[in-house]
Amino acid sequence: MLNSRRVARASVLVIVLAALAVCAPAGASSGSLSSDVWFLQDGRPTAAARSAPGIPGIVRALLAGPNRKERAQGLRTAIPTGTAIRDLRISRQVVTVDLAARFTSGRDATSLQARVGQLVRTLRDVPGVRGVRVRIEGGVPIGLFPGYDLRRIVREAVPEETASGLRDVQELLAALGFMAPTGVTGQPGDETSVAVLAFQKWSGLARTGVLDAQVTSALDRATRPVPMLDRPGKRVEILLGRQVALEIVDNRVERVFHISSGVAGRTPSGAFHVYRKERMSWSVPFSTWMPWASYFTGGIALHAYPSVPAYPASHGCVRMMARDAPLMYAFATYGTPVDVVREYA
Amino acid sequence: MSRLAASLVVLAALALPAAGLADDTTPPVAPGAPPTSLVVGLGLDDPALQAGVLRGREVILARGFEVELARILARRLGGRVERFVHVSSPGRLLASGAADWQLAFAGIPASSRTVGADLSTPYLTTDVVVVVRRGLDRPRGLADLRSAVLCAVRGDGAEAAVALHAKRAPSLLPSADRLLTAVRTGACDAALVPADEAGRFVAGHKRVLGPVVGRIRHGKGLVVAVARGGGLAAADVDRQLARLRHDGTLGRLARTWLGLDPAALPVLR
Repeated sequence: MLNSRRVARASVLVIVLAALAVCAPAGASSGSLSSDVWFLQDGRPTAAARSAPGIPGIVRALLAGPNRKERAQGLRTAIPTGTAIRDLRISRQVVTVDLAARFTSGRDATSLQARVGQLVRTLRDVPGVRGVRVRIEGGVPIGLFPGYDLRRIVREAVPEETASGLRDVQELLAALGFMAPTGVTGQPGDETSVAVLAFQKWSGLARTGVLDAQVTSALDRATRPVPMLDRPGKRVEILLGRQVALEIVDNRVERVFHISSGVAGRTPSGAFHVYRKERMSWSVPFSTWMPWASYFTGGIALHAYPSVPAYPASHGCVRMMARDAPLMYAFATYGTPVDVVREYA
Repeated sequence: MSRLAASLVVLAALALPAAGLADDTTPPVAPGAPPTSLVVGLGLDDPALQAGVLRGREVILARGFEVELARILARRLGGRVERFVHVSSPGRLLASGAADWQLAFAGIPASSRTVGADLSTPYLTTDVVVVVRRGLDRPRGLADLRSAVLCAVRGDGAEAAVALHAKRAPSLLPSADRLLTAVRTGACDAALVPADEAGRFVAGHKRVLGPVVGRIRHGKGLVVAVARGGGLAAADVDRQLARLRHDGTLGRLARTWLGLDPAALPVLR
């Protein structure tokens, strides 16, 4: 009899513990919880470590904003000062936070979106939390926070608008004409570096081929390149200052290629046209092969070459990357105008 | 004890239908005189026009172009907005004869058929706004646009206009973000955007976009539903809307909440 009571008590305890495990994620208890709270630095989400009593403590730490040291480091919050928690419940790994009306103050769409992002990122970082339900004054916010449908449980924060991911950058480079759409892989590599280099040349940035903050910032503001000259039809523009070649159709730049032209002004400027094409051309004076050669004046051609530095380096020809030269060869058919422009020193 | 329990059950049974009725009861309005406290219905379908927190049927912390317009309109009509309530889609809203609001803003097109409400004159155009890419010569009319690559977001109000005016195959894109990228990268010569979204489309992107060149006449606009028997006459609402238009209040509201006043843009012909 005694044993059966013990078994029954133990069973009840097991059931209660199991129920708690289902209903409450880790950190829901009042014990100390170490997790990240999310603030903003230059508009981008940035984590800051906090240790607080349970999930409510973590949310309170978020609402309190960055501390003095973090503010000195540039951390900011989009959550209005003095926003209070009205209620916080945890059920089935979803945290329901009911916040005071102050959370909705202001009209700046970026700030309204960012503050929900901060809340969602903070709660999703707590182990075991799989979703967040946001309530304001006990009601369901509709249309107040751009990018979020808060009638539903939010599982992920809306990604930032800036092109921070490599795939985003590649998509933008391809859309602007600096690389082929086939180069959008989400993986780093030579093709992306060359596209970045072409973009840096076009934009007047340091010619490094490295995707840094300066490049992503410039990409956020970039528009499709426009030709230097206003002429109809299909043509090629070679810009000696920027060291790029443009494929143009009806004054729309289709592609921008990284090139290296003649050192010390050896590539003549002027209006030419493609008069000779050779799939494999042999340079007699320099005893070297020049694949995918399209000659446009005298012995000067657009062609592939193993070395295409970011500055003028050839004897007068226009060197192109091995991947790009066949594309230019196909585009620059016999008679295609080639305008060589010395746009700046 | 059992008597007490029985009494409680009876009382609860009586209270339940009473509470249900209270939710659906039209606010009392003195016959003949316009009401001083208005209940305004909101559709909450378009965040630029109206947004808020839905608590039961009540909408609290309401904001947006139509919310401000409702408040101003109520003042001009000699009253004030007592509360906002959520109303269903325009179709169901207007098909129903029983309204527990006096005015409703729910993205109601001017051409709607109604049973229990009258419609005002339009307060916001549903024309399509044209934003061109940078570097494109400013089109002077629809003829100039026909040779351009026109783009719009699939399924929004501008799609039909693109199909109507594009000579080349139009590009229909899945989102406003994609449309923005297409215009800034030159894949599209011009974006066609519904009037109420145009301001948000160009906001923060003026450096990568060309100018907003005008609008294409597309529809008649959005109107206010005025409940019949609610103490307000549609003619009075029309009169006040005309004044708001004339004194620039509507334009100011549009610039504040929508980013631009579509009515002030030239019509492309």
